[in-house]
Amino acid sequence: MSHPTPCYHCGEPVPTGAPWHVTILGEQRHMCCPGCQAVAQAICSAGLESYYRHRTETSANPEAMPRALQDELELYDREDVQQRFAQRDGEEHQAILLVEGISCAACGWLIERHLRAQPGVTDVALNMGNQRLSLRWKDNQTRLSGLLKSLRKIGYAAHPYEPDKASEQIAAENRRYLRRLGLAGLLFMQVMMATMALSEEFNQDVTERMADLLRWASLLMTTPVVFYSCAPFFQGAWRDLRNRRLSMDVSVSLAIGGAYLAGIYATLIGSGEVYFDSVTMFALFLLAGRYLERRARQRTVESTAKLVNLLPPSALRVEADGSTQRIMLEELRCGDVVEVKPGESIPADGTIISGQSSVDESALSGEYLPIAKAAGDQVTAGTLNVEGPLRLRIDALGEQTRLSAIVRLLERAQSDKPRLGRLADDVAQYFLLTVLLAAVVVGGAWWWAADLHTAFWIVLAMLVATCPCALSLATPTALTTATGSLHKLGLLITRGHVLEGLPQIQTVILDKTGTLTEGRMTLEQILPFPGVDADQALRWAQMLESHSEHPIARAFGRSSEQAERCSNEPGQGLDGRCDGQPLRIGKPAFAMALTGLPEPERPAGDGQWLLLAGADGPLCWFALNDRLRSDAHELIDGLKARGLEIVLLSGDHQRVVDRVARELGIDQAIGNATPDDKLAFVQARQSAGEKVLMLGDGVNDVPVLASADISIAMGNASDLAKTNADAVLLGSHLSALLQAMAIARKTRAIMIENLGWATLYNLAVLPLAAFGFVTPALAALGMSLSSLLVVLNALRLTRIRPPVAAQHHSAQPEPSA
Amino acid sequence: MTVLYILVPIAIALVITAIWIFNWAVNNGQYDDLDSPAHSILFDDDDPAHLAAQKREGDAERDDSDQDR
Repeated sequence: MSHPTPCYHCGEPVPTGAPWHVTILGEQRHMCCPGCQAVAQAICSAGLESYYRHRTETSANPEAMPRALQDELELYDREDVQQRFAQRDGEEHQAILLVEGISCAACGWLIERHLRAQPGVTDVALNMGNQRLSLRWKDNQTRLSGLLKSLRKIGYAAHPYEPDKASEQIAAENRRYLRRLGLAGLLFMQVMMATMALSEEFNQDVTERMADLLRWASLLMTTPVVFYSCAPFFQGAWRDLRNRRLSMDVSVSLAIGGAYLAGIYATLIGSGEVYFDSVTMFALFLLAGRYLERRARQRTVESTAKLVNLLPPSALRVEADGSTQRIMLEELRCGDVVEVKPGESIPADGTIISGQSSVDESALSGEYLPIAKAAGDQVTAGTLNVEGPLRLRIDALGEQTRLSAIVRLLERAQSDKPRLGRLADDVAQYFLLTVLLAAVVVGGAWWWAADLHTAFWIVLAMLVATCPCALSLATPTALTTATGSLHKLGLLITRGHVLEGLPQIQTVILDKTGTLTEGRMTLEQILPFPGVDADQALRWAQMLESHSEHPIARAFGRSSEQAERCSNEPGQGLDGRCDGQPLRIGKPAFAMALTGLPEPERPAGDGQWLLLAGADGPLCWFALNDRLRSDAHELIDGLKARGLEIVLLSGDHQRVVDRVARELGIDQAIGNATPDDKLAFVQARQSAGEKVLMLGDGVNDVPVLASADISIAMGNASDLAKTNADAVLLGSHLSALLQAMAIARKTRAIMIENLGWATLYNLAVLPLAAFGFVTPALAALGMSLSSLLVVLNALRLTRIRPPVAAQHHSAQPEPSA
Repeated sequence: MTVLYILVPIAIALVITAIWIFNWAVNNGQYDDLDSPAHSILFDDDDPAHLAAQKREGDAERDDSDQDR
């Protein structure tokens, strides 16, 4: 079991003797579960086999996806439900779907190709950046539920996307920024041509009337740039001045505004220098930097937007006459009775009135094993019903649920979050003060030595020449390129301060379930009793477990055969007949009750031990465990090597937490922590002056994620965790975090280099300008050269090789012959 | 150089047109997804229509050289 064959479809280990395989690309490939097998078969039978040739990442496991029930999908066909997300256009409907399970570009190809082949579909376009699928279909030929189902067949879950305010606003704002940038760029070229003719250096023999025309033409073309494109700089400067702060926006506005006003003056009197080309060039460079920064941010916001909903979109209400009806979650009222089938999420807080099951609360508590629940017990919205059907009476909905209480805790944590200082703004303050002081001194000196007119033009030349173009590009370019490089490595940065803050971190707090571990049960060991064949025992276990939805059952993988007369004792185990003989699997006491013999001694070793027993005696032990991620050791060792303090903070039992900490060599391990405890712990550390990084995934980590100086969520984390983290580890490769730390350090070095160079340039050009040697053409040249240098220096950050990704690719499931 | 009196207004008119076209492209969502088209072109070789077309071309060539028909 140490090196199992990886599943050809999803890369999960294939249990020994698994019967699932599909012939793909002319070879027989092993599959880990019937889910993968079905998906692979569907892909092949649709003639889309070459997907497997093109893909660069393994596909998502179809069984890990949220389940969708047929009647739930059919709800989306209802006219009133469709109104919320679909547009009608004659007989065609159009909707945007969020697709889950996309792992690489080939998935996009597969989805588009597959959907286009469906009857009634008129247009499909998948945006890989934000995983949104825009779909047009003819309602009289196909139903939306049918299309969703056919997507599920090839291994993707999709649900209608209702645009939320925040991401719409960001998208609209980015378009506005792009228009600003385009306007500045197009006009800059024209203004440059017009003003170059005026420059003495080019020795154009222009007449006075011609010069007037060129001045007026460039004034005309500069005006929209100043008033439309540069509006954000002026707004930012005004906001900062009101807060009595000097920021980069203030110095930018001063340079643009000053040069523009002087240009108008020069145009009106018909003599003097116009710096319109510098104004537009300056605007173009700065807007380009800011636009790139915004686009990186938009992409992260979109790709972390509502992918996995904790709450189900619908619920099965039990009417007074005992019949059931599926309704949308919004239609649910307190006091209603709902039925929750195994495998479904619980829609609201409630009390169980009938049924017996276990409930997976790992998202809320961090406990990785489901908790047995029976009539009279309370259940919480957002948790998962695992084993048996439950009927519950709804006690609290929406805002009143425990889930919302955590959200409120989160809001409190957010408002307390400390802000890390930003390097560029600190520099801007000193820079601006120096330039203003120099302008006053130089202006005064020239006024005294010559006259006011000369002094005005000298001071203006100085302001333009020293305008902080390179300075204000110094940090955004470095941050943007580093963000891009990190994205390729699998770390998505959603807030700007992460890169600047990472080198300052002293303490790293890690969650256990789902972060250091995979957050689900895997079969680790099979110990058959003497005379029993391990493969046979595993087959029986699979046959029995295929009746259960319990995470333990999933660890066995599903069997094509099923046990007969199988019954499920929640919290105990399963009972049934395989190949004609009665068998039981589960807790030792439960399994041995079949034989009447005493319980055999539990083997030594960690994890959950299940016993398979027949009528004649015990047959086999199975060890299950929440396996550590393969790169967890690497992460801990790397963090230690960097001299960081590591704390394991989990909501799981202290015993389990201690075991994981021991295995990984973590000195501090705290278990049984509620979300409040976790928050208090982190805030105590922060008030002691430490800079804290939190890595977590569950809803119970959310308040901490919001409060920590830097927070990183796992790629498979709950939505709430992802949207409140400063960065997301896509693909959940832990070692990307170590890479990020190295890149962050390098980014900081480059930012300091850039700032140093920009300052040096400004210091060098200041005396030249002060003595009146700087003409508009020279100012433009100096500005572009210094900006170019800064940008090129920042681009060095893109040349970082992704060793993690490379390893991952080489570890691609190739059929081990 | 008097031609400038005509050229400068023409340049201004052109740049206004360019800005208008650019704005149209932005509002039309042409810049919304810059990644997917880059990838999708890589898979076009396996497009059944493309393969069929290639096959047809190949057949046509063979037909031409095939004198017995």
